[in-house]
Amino acid sequence: MSLLSIEQLTKEYDGIRALDRVSLKVEGGSIKGLIGPNGAGKSTLFHLISGVEKPDSGKILFKKRDITNMESHERSALGIGRTFQTVQVWGNMTVVENVMAGMHRRLKGSLFSYGLWLPWIRTSEKEALKEAKEILNSLGLLGKWESTASQLPYGKQKLLELGRALAMKPQLLLLDEPASGLTLSEIEQLSERISEMRQKGVTVFIVEHHMGMVMEVADEIAVLHNGELIAEGKPENVRRNSVVMEAYLTRGSAGK
Amino acid sequence: MSSQPAKGAQKEFRKRDLFYLVPLWVLSLIAPDPYLYHKKEFKRKDLYYLGAIGLAPLTWSDPHFHHVMVLAGIYAILALGLSLFMGYAGQISLGHAAFFGIGAYTTAILTTRHGFSPFVALWASVLSASAVAYLIGRPILKLKGYFLALATLGFGEIFLVMVRESTDLTGGVIGIFGIPWFSVAGFSFDTYLKQYYLIWGVVAGLFIFSKNLVRSKLGRALLAVAASEDAASSVGINVPRIKLEIFVLGAAFAGLAGSLFACIMSTANPETFGLGVTVPIVMMVILGGMGTIYGPVAGAILLTWLMDILSRYQEYSLPIYSIILILLLIFFPDGIGTRLNVRILYLIGYWAKKRKRDEGKL
Ligand SMILES: Nc1ncnc2c1ncn2[C@@H]1O[C@H](COP(=O)(O)OP(=O)(O)OP(=O)(O)O)[C@@H](O)[C@H]1O
Ligand SMILES: [Mg+2]
Repeated sequence: MSLLSIEQLTKEYDGIRALDRVSLKVEGGSIKGLIGPNGAGKSTLFHLISGVEKPDSGKILFKKRDITNMESHERSALGIGRTFQTVQVWGNMTVVENVMAGMHRRLKGSLFSYGLWLPWIRTSEKEALKEAKEILNSLGLLGKWESTASQLPYGKQKLLELGRALAMKPQLLLLDEPASGLTLSEIEQLSERISEMRQKGVTVFIVEHHMGMVMEVADEIAVLHNGELIAEGKPENVRRNSVVMEAYLTRGSAGK
Repeated sequence: MSSQPAKGAQKEFRKRDLFYLVPLWVLSLIAPDPYLYHKKEFKRKDLYYLGAIGLAPLTWSDPHFHHVMVLAGIYAILALGLSLFMGYAGQISLGHAAFFGIGAYTTAILTTRHGFSPFVALWASVLSASAVAYLIGRPILKLKGYFLALATLGFGEIFLVMVRESTDLTGGVIGIFGIPWFSVAGFSFDTYLKQYYLIWGVVAGLFIFSKNLVRSKLGRALLAVAASEDAASSVGINVPRIKLEIFVLGAAFAGLAGSLFACIMSTANPETFGLGVTVPIVMMVILGGMGTIYGPVAGAILLTWLMDILSRYQEYSLPIYSIILILLLIFFPDGIGTRLNVRILYLIGYWAKKRKRDEGKL
């Protein structure tokens, strides 16, 4: 049984079919890529999986549970983490606080135990800080841990957003164009982190225009075009698929 | 927050609302991005402030000073609760005074009619204000921005109308008189000085509580909700629930303040729980600096003194008050606390460096 399975998912925005009966599966422990021209419906699919939007019809199963109508925060509690195409770091917090806020679900305690700063809160906050710094270190952001997140350059904010998602310890990680806006060395760092996730057993579902990168990291690739799934398979097969070539050519926006 | 006889004041009250609305409107135009970087640990500085608050009434033994500071403390409790909701969670409430009123009336009714001690009534007030906040908050907090502002404003006004109309329960526009002094275990807070220590003790406690909240997981979640709700729920923060929690907490603070206020003024009447309170506390939060915990307390002290000093000029007091507020907002758009701090730190730094340079030369 796959970790995530999507069945006949359809979503319309004011008459535009952003997704048209899309079905696909993501196997546990694998890295799956999702590509397609601009406006193909990739981000929409991620919004539906993470619960930012609800589908018009169809079903989403995660760990064999029907999560189609679950609230977004409940899905993250089940283990779905994500990043956004346009960065959504919290600019009103410091870098390290952004990552610590990603641990929200894992830190326990009621409002009163926090207000009274009970002994176990003190230790759990300290540990959270330590762990957050480790995550920042692995992303090369430790030098900036105390600055406000909004002061980071765009690429660093994207990495920070990844760090925040990692801090959740998710089972399934949805990455929406993580490499856009990153410098070459940052992309390298990103690929490294993603390959690492495979070893840790985190399943990654990644939307990316940077072809070199998806082809390299992904085990399998799905292709969306005008809301429809037009191809799915191993990277080398997809690359040679004539339907895919055509879709990219007619839209004139091959992301490479 | 003066308790004049209510009848003649009715018409004046409306006019006054308009004067308060002007700065509020200007503020909506120039209010900056409120989220500021702040250090969140307790520092030695906190102890100095605590010492200053503790010693001030002993060196300055004027009862009028004590009384104004008591009012400032009550405002500070209100503003603290509101600042968690506004300055941290980024929501708006213009009905906060209603919870203040609920606290005051609960205490007034329980002590004068049912013979409860003020101490018991205090807890009942906190509970009733929180309970109402819970019931109101569940539907209302789904709204955002202006709609939330309007809904909370409406709630506040409805509360006032209900208080004025249900004469049997609340005494209508005249209100309830003869509320006993606050007392704990036979110790009665019957002088301004004792009340000063009572109120500022409570402020200190709530201050520490709030500061602990904002430096923990909860504070981060609040700031996250303020900045991006989608991102907040993507890491598992239950956005509606955390908004509700903090709204109820703010209401609990307000209920507590209302109960203490009723005991200190010994009356509760509708005039004191309308926009005339809401607008000042919103101003205190904004002027003090959003997203800080010192801000609301500093704002409360400043504005209470300003109102007290200006009350000498009678009919000119409100226009002058508005102008001063507007000027403050123009020159200290991020709140008085932050900007002054930065300036002073800069000056100290400059002075220290200059001295070092001079010494080097010598
Ligand atoms: N909130 C919305 N309201 C209306 N239409 C929308 C909305 N979100 C997406 N759409 C439309 O749905 C279609 C799919 O959009 P989506 O953002 O999923 O594309 P995408 O594959 O992520 O493209 P890109 O590569 O540009 O990010 C587009 O035609 C878009 O205009
Ligand atoms: Mg997209």
